[in-house]
Amino acid sequence: MSLNTVRELYQQVILDRYKNPRHRGMTQPIHRQQRGHNPSCGDTIQLTVQLNESEDFIEDVKFEGEGCAIAIASADLMAEALRGKPVGVALAMVEQFQGMMKGAEEFPQEFRKLNVMQGVSQFPVRIKCATLPWHTLKAALELTSPVAKDGFISNESDS
Amino acid sequence: MPPTTEESLGVKLRSDFPILHQEIHGHPLIYFDNAATSQKPQTVLDVLRHYYERDNANVHRGVHTLSNRATESYEQAREKIARFINARSHQEVVYTRNASEAINLVAYTWGLDQLQPGDEVVLSVMEHHSNLIPWQLIAQKTGAVLKFINLTHSGELDVDHYQSLLGNRTRLVSVVHVSNTLGCVNPVAEIVNLAHGYGARVLIDACQSVPHLPIDVQSMNCDWLVASGHKMCGPSGIGFLYGKLEVLRSMPPFLGGGEMIADVFLDHATYADLPYKFEAGTPAIGEAIALGAAVDYLTKIGMDIIHQYEEELTAYLLQQLYTIPNIQVYGPQLNQTNYPKNQGRAALAAFTVDGIHPHDLSTILDQAGIAIRAGHHCTQPLHRHLNAQSTARASLYFYNTRSEIDRFIETLQEAIDFFGEVFQK
Repeated sequence: MSLNTVRELYQQVILDRYKNPRHRGMTQPIHRQQRGHNPSCGDTIQLTVQLNESEDFIEDVKFEGEGCAIAIASADLMAEALRGKPVGVALAMVEQFQGMMKGAEEFPQEFRKLNVMQGVSQFPVRIKCATLPWHTLKAALELTSPVAKDGFISNESDS
Repeated sequence: MPPTTEESLGVKLRSDFPILHQEIHGHPLIYFDNAATSQKPQTVLDVLRHYYERDNANVHRGVHTLSNRATESYEQAREKIARFINARSHQEVVYTRNASEAINLVAYTWGLDQLQPGDEVVLSVMEHHSNLIPWQLIAQKTGAVLKFINLTHSGELDVDHYQSLLGNRTRLVSVVHVSNTLGCVNPVAEIVNLAHGYGARVLIDACQSVPHLPIDVQSMNCDWLVASGHKMCGPSGIGFLYGKLEVLRSMPPFLGGGEMIADVFLDHATYADLPYKFEAGTPAIGEAIALGAAVDYLTKIGMDIIHQYEEELTAYLLQQLYTIPNIQVYGPQLNQTNYPKNQGRAALAAFTVDGIHPHDLSTILDQAGIAIRAGHHCTQPLHRHLNAQSTARASLYFYNTRSEIDRFIETLQEAIDFFGEVFQK
């Protein structure tokens, strides 16, 4: 088997983040909490978000849960990229990430670390894995109360 | 000495399946996802094509030649299926879209009609969602109570526990014949016999057994049995429900429409005789006829020969999987002293490898042309029970070979090394 294509997907950074995620856990305090679920494989992640006092800036994001290398690395890189960012920017990044999965432009310099996920766009069935944390983030930031009332968000319609 | 690959059934029959002769990502396709769906032999594809090119017409309602041809072929296919599972009569075979629809048919007719609050329905923790959700829905509507048979430590159906669940409130036992995740073959004749002792009806989900084992509904003595065509070399969109004649007779109709009626008035109707009572609307005619061709194809090979060959493949697959470090294979194991305690093990293996998610394994195997399933295989409660979020699953059919297993194992090891290598840095 040629591992070249596989290496394009599983870049060193992705495998490293999978094995040693930096942002696993729960924020302290928790201002937003949301569970995200991929019904086709059963993978579930739980995001917690800490906001500033006026709730327009993200102080911290952490995740818990089980998932494949793509989902975990995506969650970890996302959490890192969002620290200290305005909520509006974060929501725009959700759109941009989904666009990148469809082959659109990469992230600019400031968020270049996220571009290692670009290889996933070549593996259509795995896009759901990469977008699970972003989908969950969007739901978390759109919550008006701290915790989602009806359990978790599914990313089934998102591909 | 096991037979060499050169003379195996798989090597001989592969040429019947056009789809197998292609490359995926530059590698010969190895199709190990047969529990999800099987591939189709040329003869089945030819029959489907012939039907639409030469015989297409609606069934049971025209006097013209094409309608007659379509109807005859459609009914002959039903008779082939009836013989294949040793039903007493072709009237005991109802065409459905798939096995899920067949289970829903029983749930929404017999279940809604017969189940009372407090009545008990016995299922097992290894059921496919399609033999779980319909009963959840019916239990919510009727107040019936669902009970679940546990697994033994060896990953098989716990018959002792099953016996302890049976009682005077047991109205139905609905269990899988062969688990699509554990691979265990459940002792269905014994299950049926015990349930009948309490006057309960029994439904057998035979999706994973009809394609692989000789099936005899009379000796099994089940009240209903369901299977899907696409897992047994037939097309998708066609499956069937077997039911004992007197049981089917006692059930109210399911879907209403054309085909299922005897006499219709504006405010009421009488219904057609079996099996048409349960076949409203224009059915999947070409698909049913092609399923008949699939039955012919399997019968010609011989289900006992298929079963025997698959048992050899299973043993080889498990032996080879055991050579992989840090692997866990679910279900009954080859080296267990009680193997096969019940009735053996089907040619599939769900497994996990420490530290590597099944999806990641499956993606890497796909790059080498190897198709396996990764996920929960529609048995989420079973996966919870096994404490596994998801598993990888290799599932084989008679057209697979030992050399394919060799390449699968080799690639699996490469995939594991690929992940291991990165982690050690």
